[in-house]
Amino acid sequence: MKANVRHHGKVTVVDLSGKITIGEGDVKLREAVNSLLEEGRKNVILNLGGVSYMDSAGIGELVACYKRAVEKGSKLKLLNPSGKVQDLLILTRLQEIFDIFRDEREALASF
Amino acid sequence: MGNKVKLRLGSRIIYVDLVHEMAEDLARKAKFPKAAALDIALAVREAFINAVKHGNAFDPAKTVEVEFVSNATRFQIRVRDQGVGFDWHRTRDPREEENISRPGGRGIFFMKYFVDHVDFVQRPGKGMEVLLEKQLEPVARSGEATKRRRG
Repeated sequence: MKANVRHHGKVTVVDLSGKITIGEGDVKLREAVNSLLEEGRKNVILNLGGVSYMDSAGIGELVACYKRAVEKGSKLKLLNPSGKVQDLLILTRLQEIFDIFRDEREALASF
Repeated sequence: MGNKVKLRLGSRIIYVDLVHEMAEDLARKAKFPKAAALDIALAVREAFINAVKHGNAFDPAKTVEVEFVSNATRFQIRVRDQGVGFDWHRTRDPREEENISRPGGRGIFFMKYFVDHVDFVQRPGKGMEVLLEKQLEPVARSGEATKRRRG
């Protein structure tokens, strides 16, 4: 998995690509989000458009990132989950806790 | 006449991608469409992770056996660990209100979602066996592209 960070004013977008699975992807996701939270970033968007699939560890890490963000007083939102990832978010009812956007401009304006 | 492939691996998470790729490859060879082959691989992935983490508790002296059997109508995968087993009936439903925001507890749920049938068999003194099964749809069996049927 790769994570590329972009800053748009007060909002940080993390473009994720590849697969978020146990052992590598989940660790990289944790490190990327932790690093932003430690820097004091308050508004973070995870762009899932390039993520092909996730396993239970990847989904679990997404939830853990969300909880850590809330604990730090930050907001974490999701952008453009692909078919398989979207299915899993709906299946696990995680679309009820995450704000999920299809359009980046809308996501940026939502903070 | 079916095909059978068996792997015996150490209790290490690092092998999960190998198991995933083999499951996906064998499912494709058994004529499952690409999306269904990925579903099978994702279910096998969860079963292997469970076997290493919860079954064998990462014990390097214990192994995980993965057996793939395919025939003209279905694909079966058996994942066997050497642990003490668990009562799978007592696993939590991750969709229940109090469980939605838990980071863990979705592995078995994903297995059930990705394949048609999941069973857990306690093998006394030997460990747990997880059986995963997915039926090959008639259209895929005949060799036609599934998307042609949808169109």
